[in-house]
Amino acid sequence: MADQEAHDSRHESKEVTYRIRHATSYVYGDSVTLAHNEARLTPRNGPWQVAHSARLVVEPTPAFMARERDYFGNWLTLFALQEPHRHFLVTAYAEVTVRAPFLPDPEDTPPWEEVRELLTKSHDPDVFEAVEHVFESPYVQLLPELREYALESFTPGRPLLAAAVDLSSRIHHDFEYEPGATTVATPVATVLAERRGVCQDFAHLMIGCIRSLGLSARYVSGYLRTRSPAGQPRRVGADASHAWVSVFCPGYDFIDIDPTNDMLVTTEHPTLAWGRDYGDVSPLCGVLLGGGQHRVEVAVDVEPIDDEDDDEPD
Amino acid sequence: MPASQSQSQSLPPLPEPAHAALSGYHALASGHDELLAPDGTLRPHWTRFAQTLATQGPSELTRGWDAAQRQLRDNGVTYNVYDDSRGMDRPWQLDPIPLLVSADEWRKLDRGLSQRAYLLNLVLDDIYGSRSLLRQRVLPPELVFRNPAFLRTCHRSLARGARYLHLYAADLARDATGAYWVLGDRTQAPSGMGYALENRVVLSRAFSGLYRECRVERLAPFFRSLLEVIQRLSPRGVDRPHAVLLTPGPYNETYFEHAYLARYLGLTLVEGGDLTVRNRVVYLKTLSGLSRVDVILRRLDDSFCDPLALRADSTLGVPGLVSAVRAGNVTVANALGSGVVECAAMLPYMPALCRHLLGEDLALPSAPAKWCGEPGVLDYVRENIDTLVLKPAFARADTPEPVFPATLSRAEKDALLARVAAKPVAWVAQERIAFSSAPVWTGQAAEPHRVTFRCYALGDGPGYTTMPGGLTRVAHDERDTIVSMQRGAGSKDTWVLAERPVTHFSLLGRQAERMTVSRSGNDLPSRVADNLYWLGRYVERVESTARLSRALVSRLLDDTRSGEPGVLTTLYAAFRAQHMLPATSRLPAETAVADEIERELMRQLRSQDSSYALLSSLTGAYRAASVVRDRISRDTWHVLSQLDDQRHALIETRARSGASEMLDALDRLVLSCGTFAGLEMENLSRTFGFRFMDLGRRLERARNTSMLVVNTVGSVRVEEASLLAALLDTLDNGITYRRRYQDVMQAAPVLDLVLTDESNPRSIAFQLAATLEHVRLLPRAVEDPLRTPEERLALGMLTRARLCDIEALCEPASDSDRPQLRAHLADLDRDLPALSDAITQGYLAHALPQRTFGQDR
Repeated sequence: MADQEAHDSRHESKEVTYRIRHATSYVYGDSVTLAHNEARLTPRNGPWQVAHSARLVVEPTPAFMARERDYFGNWLTLFALQEPHRHFLVTAYAEVTVRAPFLPDPEDTPPWEEVRELLTKSHDPDVFEAVEHVFESPYVQLLPELREYALESFTPGRPLLAAAVDLSSRIHHDFEYEPGATTVATPVATVLAERRGVCQDFAHLMIGCIRSLGLSARYVSGYLRTRSPAGQPRRVGADASHAWVSVFCPGYDFIDIDPTNDMLVTTEHPTLAWGRDYGDVSPLCGVLLGGGQHRVEVAVDVEPIDDEDDDEPD
Repeated sequence: MPASQSQSQSLPPLPEPAHAALSGYHALASGHDELLAPDGTLRPHWTRFAQTLATQGPSELTRGWDAAQRQLRDNGVTYNVYDDSRGMDRPWQLDPIPLLVSADEWRKLDRGLSQRAYLLNLVLDDIYGSRSLLRQRVLPPELVFRNPAFLRTCHRSLARGARYLHLYAADLARDATGAYWVLGDRTQAPSGMGYALENRVVLSRAFSGLYRECRVERLAPFFRSLLEVIQRLSPRGVDRPHAVLLTPGPYNETYFEHAYLARYLGLTLVEGGDLTVRNRVVYLKTLSGLSRVDVILRRLDDSFCDPLALRADSTLGVPGLVSAVRAGNVTVANALGSGVVECAAMLPYMPALCRHLLGEDLALPSAPAKWCGEPGVLDYVRENIDTLVLKPAFARADTPEPVFPATLSRAEKDALLARVAAKPVAWVAQERIAFSSAPVWTGQAAEPHRVTFRCYALGDGPGYTTMPGGLTRVAHDERDTIVSMQRGAGSKDTWVLAERPVTHFSLLGRQAERMTVSRSGNDLPSRVADNLYWLGRYVERVESTARLSRALVSRLLDDTRSGEPGVLTTLYAAFRAQHMLPATSRLPAETAVADEIERELMRQLRSQDSSYALLSSLTGAYRAASVVRDRISRDTWHVLSQLDDQRHALIETRARSGASEMLDALDRLVLSCGTFAGLEMENLSRTFGFRFMDLGRRLERARNTSMLVVNTVGSVRVEEASLLAALLDTLDNGITYRRRYQDVMQAAPVLDLVLTDESNPRSIAFQLAATLEHVRLLPRAVEDPLRTPEERLALGMLTRARLCDIEALCEPASDSDRPQLRAHLADLDRDLPALSDAITQGYLAHALPQRTFGQDR
């Protein structure tokens, strides 16, 4: 395809395979007698990503474990620990090949108002999947301030992707990346007012901006390769799980943009799961009896298997 | 009486007294009146009711009203109003005049309700399945996608074509032309059926003659069908599936009804904490381990049902329930997620949905409404604001309360319009309907109040069966135009008149499959056992406090014994010890002892400071009983209500009211406790429930008796004879003693009677023997040849009681103390709490607090 040829020049490589290890450990003050858990720690498969081997190791050994797909098609692992325990370790291992998606020239995408119209009228099944991501969701309130902020990028008639890329750049420029400044419960309005946060906040903020215009955007959870390709600046957010935004662009399905690093996503972002917001894709959550105070530690390694990738010319 | 009711429009002449019964009743100036036609004549379907009432005389309504009120109070029918100073347990309000619905009207309602339920079930199947209604935009996708009641985790949780909606309710009102409109649909856990049934039970009893004459459709067949439907829902296809009714608990507004329905239908009433999910199967935590649950009839709202898959902050739900449903191991009725169609925003789309899915028109229309998220609706709202009601689009149609712009000032209206304009998708504008009015009895006369109706349908077979009747709710007063139970509305029984004589139907006469004889009661939830145990303890604590106080008060009042201040101070010290109060340090001058003790005692008896205080024990008993209401018989509940009334009376008696008044109050308490104990002994099967309640009683009585003995005769005092008499008096053992020993008061024979005589139901040995029997018969998880800790403790105490040498116990040391008696009772004081702890550990251990995580980054 001509398009593919044209855009390959923007990519450092067409595909990269990663070895991923994501360990979460909980240590409790008191014994936990029963714990029901849900994990979304198994990478999705799709035309742009293949998960070769993915497994979840839980200690102590769960009494029950099952894997199924959730509403959004993500892998959901359910497991329960029924014996008293004081620590709990979940390690997700995977090998994932990430392929560079076909990216259009941002200036060649349809005017954003046209996309908004399509989302309210079309009976096309692909568009219908995107309609799900047009509305308010628990972590993404649609506020007039967000719309105002967005409209500076979404000028009348501007091609959708060009406007979205511009919005991502502005967020990257206007907001301070500051771990610890926010929690998952910090509302988007506060992030907007205080101009700081982490990748989840920027993703929620950008989604809110896009949805407040009647467009469709979803939240993507995943990883960022730990070491950047040679000659590239170190990416932010590589030592933990990462989050970014996916914008619906007719003809190209959803296009991923990482506002934290101000980049279109190509091969550095293995995807775990997507949903309306963080609440739909929380990597690990649970309900437990007992436990008292707990301490949690998360360690993430995302290494390319073939180091040659690093040396590929830009 | 004429054999059939005339359907003609000509009005039969009313006998004169009919006007007397409902005399002075006038319809309101606007709206349809249920009783009177616009020309002031009686509507035809009320004729028989009015005529019968007339023949029974004008006092009939007053008599029936009194009877109904009394019965509701005795049955403890309550409705909890949030944020009310009276708080819990507001008495249920039932009007003695039923609402009559003619057979013709009911036929139309029946068809309309069934159609709506059938339609909504199809809509749910679509929303949680193919979502074609959204794809084709018959329903705006936003109504589902941004609806908080749309539970994505429940998508495709049931097979295609499965039933989501088992029980459906609609809130109806009639406009000025008498036409019925649906104000809201209830699709997740419709409430009120139990109240409707209780209303019927009470009213048909209070007006039995009237009820028979009017030929009213019975409700019982509907409830029988409900039970049959529940049993057929079992995914295992077992003969007698284990079905439970899941309640949010006693603080829910309609908790009375949950307990009532559970008892009526024979379902186990459970709270979320009683259930646990193991390997995607739901179990009930019982005394004898986990018992599999097949069907859950839930009264818990959708999003609270599973803190793992749904609302993480819910402490009421069952973690893992959604996964059990998805695995097909349990049926939840109504299906989880069915609340998505009960929001107000769904109402405007019902006609289009009906045409699309059923190819026919809605038989029972929704109140005319528009969703403000549609283009142009905002302008319509601005232009017609005074004739509209504004409702939150995604809240259930009745909560929070809708806004009536016509009642607002200009500025308030503008503010409201600004709010709607800022987020139109969050609002629904409905045309205001002037509800119909019906006669409500005030005690002297009937006056017109606005009414709304809640009707019910049950998914049975391919379609739906309606309940012929329902819950009619009446506005608080003549002027009130809003009908809300939370605002103090009352209720009416709803009589659907039959065209033909009604066959008498009884739940007893049904042709059931043959039951296997069973005596097991192993499905007692641990939480219920815990509450029964505490009910036993609290009632016994009330009784022992009342008995000791009575002994004290009667001595304060009795001049002939008032010369013994030592008896008063000793008994008062025993009272304080029993209440875990510190011993009084200052001893008043002898002459002032009686006054001082009287003042202090009166204060203590009205105090709630200590958890051992009389009022606290009464509250505790009522609380524990409320939580296990479905296990308490009506008679027993009646006694508990009496005890609660007596608690109120104690609080309300003037602080300075005399000791004789208090003596009467204590007498009544002792009698009520006695009645409670009698009902328990004679009416309860010896199930585990009984054993836990009785264990509570026995352990509490042993503790109190032991404390009383040590505080009265632990040392030899000059007033020993009087103290021994007071001890016997308090324990109700005076007669037995005098028959054995005449009036000679000596320590050894008294202590033999109260400590070691196992034939005396007030002796400590009797309590220990009963305790041992109970703990031996409690279920065990594993067959263990060794004795359980609780059995060892009970056996040890009983053996010591049997082996003790009474004469030696009574032997005083040089300082007039009785060291052996004190040592004997100290052992009890150590082992009784240990036994209680062992039982709690072994059987009643409450679920530890449940927490969620996943909010960490």
